[in-house]
Amino acid sequence: MKKISHLAVPYVVWTILLLALPMVLIVFYSVVGEGNTILDVSFTIDNYKKFFTDKDFLIVLWRSVKIALETTVICILVGYPIAYFISRSEEKYRNLFILLVTIPMWINMLVRTYAWIGILSENGVANKILSFIGLGDVQLIHTQGAVILGMVYNFIPFMILQINSSLSKMDNSLLEASQDLGADGKTTFMKIVLPLSLPGVVSGIALVFLPSVSSFFIPKMLGGGQFFLIGNVIENQFITVGEWSFGSAISVIMAALMMLSMYVVRAIEKKNKVDRGDD
Amino acid sequence: MKKDKRIFGKFIFSSAMIFFYLPILYVVIFSFNSSKSLTSFSGFSLEWYKRISESSEMMVALYTTIAVAVIATIVSTFIGTISAIGLFKSNKLIKRLIGQINDLPIMNPEIVTAIGLMLLFITFKVERGLLTMLLAHISFCIPYVILSVMPKIKSLDENLAEAAMDLGATPWQALYKVIVPQIKPGIIAGALIAFTMSVDDFVISYFVSGRGVKNLSMVVYTMSKRINPSINAISTLIIVAITIVLIVINVAPVIRRKIDSSNAKEKHFLAKKSKAPTIMVVAGALLLFIFSFNFFFASGGKYEGKTLHVYNWGEYTDPETIAEFERETGAKVVLDNFDSNEQMYIKLANGESYDVIFPSDYMIERLIQEDMIQKLDKSKLDFLDDIYPGVRNLDYDPNNEYSVPYFWGTVGILYDTEKVSEEEVAEQGFDIFRNPKYKGETYLYDSERDSFMMALKALGYSMNTQSEEELNEAYNWLLDAVETTEPEIVTDEIIDNMAQGRKALAIMYSGDAAFAMSENESMAFHLPNSGTNLWSDAMVIPKNAKEVELAHEFIRFNSSYETTIKNSNFVGYTASNEEAFDFLRTDKEYFGEIDAYTPRVGYEKDEIFHYDEEMRKIMANLWSKVKILATSK
Repeated sequence: MKKISHLAVPYVVWTILLLALPMVLIVFYSVVGEGNTILDVSFTIDNYKKFFTDKDFLIVLWRSVKIALETTVICILVGYPIAYFISRSEEKYRNLFILLVTIPMWINMLVRTYAWIGILSENGVANKILSFIGLGDVQLIHTQGAVILGMVYNFIPFMILQINSSLSKMDNSLLEASQDLGADGKTTFMKIVLPLSLPGVVSGIALVFLPSVSSFFIPKMLGGGQFFLIGNVIENQFITVGEWSFGSAISVIMAALMMLSMYVVRAIEKKNKVDRGDD
Repeated sequence: MKKDKRIFGKFIFSSAMIFFYLPILYVVIFSFNSSKSLTSFSGFSLEWYKRISESSEMMVALYTTIAVAVIATIVSTFIGTISAIGLFKSNKLIKRLIGQINDLPIMNPEIVTAIGLMLLFITFKVERGLLTMLLAHISFCIPYVILSVMPKIKSLDENLAEAAMDLGATPWQALYKVIVPQIKPGIIAGALIAFTMSVDDFVISYFVSGRGVKNLSMVVYTMSKRINPSINAISTLIIVAITIVLIVINVAPVIRRKIDSSNAKEKHFLAKKSKAPTIMVVAGALLLFIFSFNFFFASGGKYEGKTLHVYNWGEYTDPETIAEFERETGAKVVLDNFDSNEQMYIKLANGESYDVIFPSDYMIERLIQEDMIQKLDKSKLDFLDDIYPGVRNLDYDPNNEYSVPYFWGTVGILYDTEKVSEEEVAEQGFDIFRNPKYKGETYLYDSERDSFMMALKALGYSMNTQSEEELNEAYNWLLDAVETTEPEIVTDEIIDNMAQGRKALAIMYSGDAAFAMSENESMAFHLPNSGTNLWSDAMVIPKNAKEVELAHEFIRFNSSYETTIKNSNFVGYTASNEEAFDFLRTDKEYFGEIDAYTPRVGYEKDEIFHYDEEMRKIMANLWSKVKILATSK
């Protein structure tokens, strides 16, 4: 049986070279002084200091987290009923519904985002509809609303699919039992359905929050050049400003933040599992 | 009660479907629009499909996307599967450790993974291009394959493989004949995820690719700044292709099952297997497509088989001229675009090799100083005298030893004469961008250099100031402008938006202004008395160019009368070829009535930018701060 475990050897090498080493390099670049050369290295924590002492960067970070949180909340509130509907529908339709939710994900994310530019722009369809119902000309494109809309549009399928998969796993006899024991629809939902679907919600949160926080092309395309989120700051550092060490430091901060929040999310998930075990 | 709920569910589900598919439908409809507009449909046409079939950039990007996705899927599925099997049999420590690292691309924000890989390739001097893109894709796909194969392995009966080997099977046979068939659903799911991730990827490709190797996402990203219905057309093709694939995968088994079940009920279990062959047929067809591709692009000519790598501003050449150059020489042109001189410089400084680049004046000064571009072969440049004297022998390259001017112009204020009077613009100059009267009616250009130029000129300073104090004053001027008029800070979208009269005022390059004015008669262009930036973009050959002779050929081609007229007319920027310049600025069919086309020459307060790294960094940082403030508005 030893030989079969050797199958993993190429990948062990691969993970070290192409997954672990890049992360080491980011950390490395974030603590070396100016310049891109590996020779004459001097270590410094100035880049981190610069980030945490400049209130403007902290504002951007906070704004990115806030927008990602708003996106996530909207995805849960809208995605849950949709997932519930799918999981409760007849089996022959269920796969079709899931397919309908999945198809947009197959279409390039930039293309999907680009489509909204035409819809939201000043004399686009959205504004035409709004003026038709008497709400007049509203600035839609290049606003925070447009950015959140773009994020919800791109990431909500993840939420729906995750919640749906945990709802579908639910044993129907539980619901019947609950009703037999006299619980009304609301109680059954609150006491049985919701707790059992929480793992799906939790992994949905991870799949929505993570890409929202770091996205840089959605804010750029729908928010305009003046809409700056943390992803844009990083892109800017690497692509135009050229201060790689600072860009690396922001990347490390962001990665750490994400790891931390994922850790919290997973801990909650685990705790839930234990709680259910106790029941 | 129960019925009510279904109605609510149906309602919210159908609304969601409208929300999901409306934008997609929108893309499809507007891909058939006869005009350029993204907002009003003026008639049916196949114009944009014709354009993409003629655009080698798009076709190559399509090919790159599919080739990378297919190869990445095959490789990552193979490595992922055997590694998952191997890991399962490995000891706990390795399993845990690799498991953790394996999670990195999944747990990390994409941009961090992208930057990590970019730093890796740059640090170890791996030239960025197709290979690096492929490596990156494989490496972010494998973890997903492992994740989808692992659960299947865990549910496998461990004794099966051992039993097979006890019965005389080699470990490979045990793997191939016993284990793999049982975990097939996991492998197929993993392959599908890998393929989707690869086709959809933008962020990672954007950072790790180079030398003009672009996938579709990157092309869409660079093109999305200008209105370009070709994006709709190519998107529609993708949508159609995906729909067909999904129908084949999902519907074919259903139909087969129906046929089977009507024939003989016992055969039913066979139907489930039919997904795998379908996928294999699709993959095979795609591979065939990849290998047949090169036949499309074979052509004859002196430089046949050579590839010229050109790094230029976005939308800076008429694609027709590129096709013409390819026909004339037989060479292939790979075009890469940049948004700013700084972006171009960073790529060049990291050793990426191009044959011809189009930097601006101050950047050429820097490239000469840092010994990054080569002296041109004067014997091949006998046409230099055809260039307009006003843009020859400028400070940045006094004898044109390194560079041949391409486009040139000024920076000024484009205003809508229906909303702003000429006197007002003339009187206030750049300060009109701080006039509260035009709140919400202005565009600024997302460039630290041009923004600081505007502020410094408005304050009466030199735009080449070396005083930090003056820069700070300019910073406060910009903050004030952002606070009082709440401008939108944009890049090339400014051109189409002003052409459509979206806002009253914009700071603009004269060439873009000329284009906007030719589309919209109520627009006018003003050059403030406080002076402005007189700039020029020129063609240079980097030190590490690989096709120097062909590069000279390209520079000559672009300087000719005919090509200049095509490019200048297409882009709206001022031509350098004197004869072409004189023709275009006087002919009424072209720019005869558009004053923005003819730059102001010889005005004492106008300046050319000089290179100063320290000032540039200060400006870059201050400008990001201005933008951060603008976002919170």
